[in-house]
Amino acid sequence: MSATATDLDDAARLRHLEARPMWRIVLGQFAEHRMAVAGVCVIAFFLGVALLAPAISAVTGLDPNRQNVLARYQPLLSWEDASPSERELQVERFLRSGDRTALADHVRRLGLGGPDVPQAEVLYELVGNTDPKQLLHLLREGPPPDAAAARAQLADFEQVVAGFRSFHLLGTDELGRDVFIRLVYGTRVSITVGLLVALISGLIGLLVGSVAGYYGGRLDALLMRFTDALLSLPILVVLIVVSAVDLGKLLGGTPLAFIVDHEHESVIKMVIILCAFSWMQAARLVRGSILSIKEQEFVLAARVLGARDRTIIATHVVPNVIAPLLVAVTLGIGNAILFEAALSFLGLGIQPPTPSWGNMLNNAQEMVQHAPMLAVLPGLLILFTVISFNYIGDGVRDAIDPRAIRR
Amino acid sequence: MTGFILRRLAQTVVVIALLSFFCYFLMTLMPGDPIDEMVAANPNMTAEDAQRLRELHGLDQPTYKRYWSWVTMIAGGDLGYSRTYRVPVSEILGRSLLNTSLLAGTALVLSLLVAVPLGVWAALRKGSRVDYFVNLFAFAGISVPSFWIAIVLILVFAVYIPIFPAGGTSSIDFGMTPGEAIIDRARHLVLPVLSLSFLSIGTFVRYTRAAMIDALSNDYIRTARAKGLSWERVLVVHGFRNALIPLITIVTLSFSTLFSGAIITETVFAYDGVGRLVFLSIQRNDFNVAMVAFMISVSWVLLMNFAADLLYGLADPRITYS
Repeated sequence: MSATATDLDDAARLRHLEARPMWRIVLGQFAEHRMAVAGVCVIAFFLGVALLAPAISAVTGLDPNRQNVLARYQPLLSWEDASPSERELQVERFLRSGDRTALADHVRRLGLGGPDVPQAEVLYELVGNTDPKQLLHLLREGPPPDAAAARAQLADFEQVVAGFRSFHLLGTDELGRDVFIRLVYGTRVSITVGLLVALISGLIGLLVGSVAGYYGGRLDALLMRFTDALLSLPILVVLIVVSAVDLGKLLGGTPLAFIVDHEHESVIKMVIILCAFSWMQAARLVRGSILSIKEQEFVLAARVLGARDRTIIATHVVPNVIAPLLVAVTLGIGNAILFEAALSFLGLGIQPPTPSWGNMLNNAQEMVQHAPMLAVLPGLLILFTVISFNYIGDGVRDAIDPRAIRR
Repeated sequence: MTGFILRRLAQTVVVIALLSFFCYFLMTLMPGDPIDEMVAANPNMTAEDAQRLRELHGLDQPTYKRYWSWVTMIAGGDLGYSRTYRVPVSEILGRSLLNTSLLAGTALVLSLLVAVPLGVWAALRKGSRVDYFVNLFAFAGISVPSFWIAIVLILVFAVYIPIFPAGGTSSIDFGMTPGEAIIDRARHLVLPVLSLSFLSIGTFVRYTRAAMIDALSNDYIRTARAKGLSWERVLVVHGFRNALIPLITIVTLSFSTLFSGAIITETVFAYDGVGRLVFLSIQRNDFNVAMVAFMISVSWVLLMNFAADLLYGLADPRITYS
């Protein structure tokens, strides 16, 4: 590992002499933290899942909100047939979507759907009386229709029939909804909340911390007392009280009232509440760095040159506090996800039907004996995500710490 | 010193007072109204009755007036009456406060007993496999959702291997001797304490390890070794003594996390404590209980922080209170 200068060949010596830009040093340091790199991979995967959620839903034909009371608490890797009423609904939708007479003729010619059934109802009879598993076979085994129109309609119909059976990789929950696709959409909600909260509260912290640190004096004392008071509170108790607030009563008649009936009201509410109570660490950190930076010569030099406060904060102070702030924001993502999950678990956070990892656990506890996977899976995903963000934060901290740089 | 204590105490009181108003204000913004609920529960109630009740309980007054009458009531020693439990608030509160202190106290002691040796061990074997696994364990500890670990513990130790009760504070007393009653309480405590400790163990391990590595890299450690002191003595007196100060900071900060964790743990295990009381009373619109339970939990945490501030002076004589 530690080769002395004489052991090196010329190429290696050149490599050591080469000047590397800061970001490459930092990147190299980061890459040496194996768990942090693993964390980046895990997060990249979850981000991909979150972005592709609608595509996954379209490809698998699963809908996170489709309920089926006949198939509740299905185990892992189970097949489920749509209920007869659901099947009829699908057929009705299919019949309305275009001319289906050629298909009905074909089905009657095959002798499916009963002899005395009028043509208009032959498809209803067919799906109502046949096991969905066999229906597809029956349609495919018979001789193909001669007319092109009938062939096209048959192909469409086969797709509808194929949708009658769905495969539940991870089973179903207490309303018969597919757990896999809900986890996929939950990834979206949980990671979005985590990222938004960490970024916004990082910005608030940057603002409060830099104002307090830069101006000092009474403003600093006031802001920091406030920050300390918030920091010392049992945060979840406060969050429970705040998230129980009815936004309608608070925002009624104000310009923000549009949030109340928004499709994602509970998500927006969660982000606002979590931001309000998670900027304090960042603020203290920023203030601390600024107190040491503002005493340094380059700030004095800028002031002598006539730079305004705004310019000094933006061009000299902020770039120097970005690094510690980055660590705080990364660690903040994990915390935000944990708090969101805890509140949603208590039923105060993200409201159903929007799935989040936390509210999927909400009902799982009662049925833990019969459907343990329902409780275990969302928690595992939370654990993996949060631990990854924490390791990334640790890696970033190591990478930007000049004392830890190993050359 | 006295000046510092008084100033700090005054600050704490101001924070508590501000919070009580803030919380009271939030309660008025919660969905549902006690009178509306009474109307819904009793079909014989007329609109006039509801109006009379509203006036009787002062609910037609503006928020600040109601807050003030609440404050004077509390100051007079009356904590109010619980609408859902149908007993005075003081009766429920004492028991649940005791239960929470027992739970949180045991969890704190347990996590310190586990975390400090682990952290020191990892610090001494820095970079080794031991360090790696202790680190992984600590990261898992800070990253795991507390309610999930509680559910997993129930699944493993109450469903698959039924050796502990899945929830509750104690079994129904059927002529248990005092000894049996204590064992019964202890059995009900095991899983909640384990799940509550998990998070703090992770935090404490990481801080102990970092503080210990920091302390051991100082020059005075080398000096102490050079003058012939035994390694154990150097480790304890020169190393650990100096690692203690950051550790106290994090233990202080953990009071608030411990309390937050207690809410979740108590809710999952149906353990009769203040955290669960806050949650349930807010859900049921039982404002008297919610206000008092909230105030007690916040004050408790703030006072603990205050006590820990004083502890610094004992741990580090260099710190002066000015």
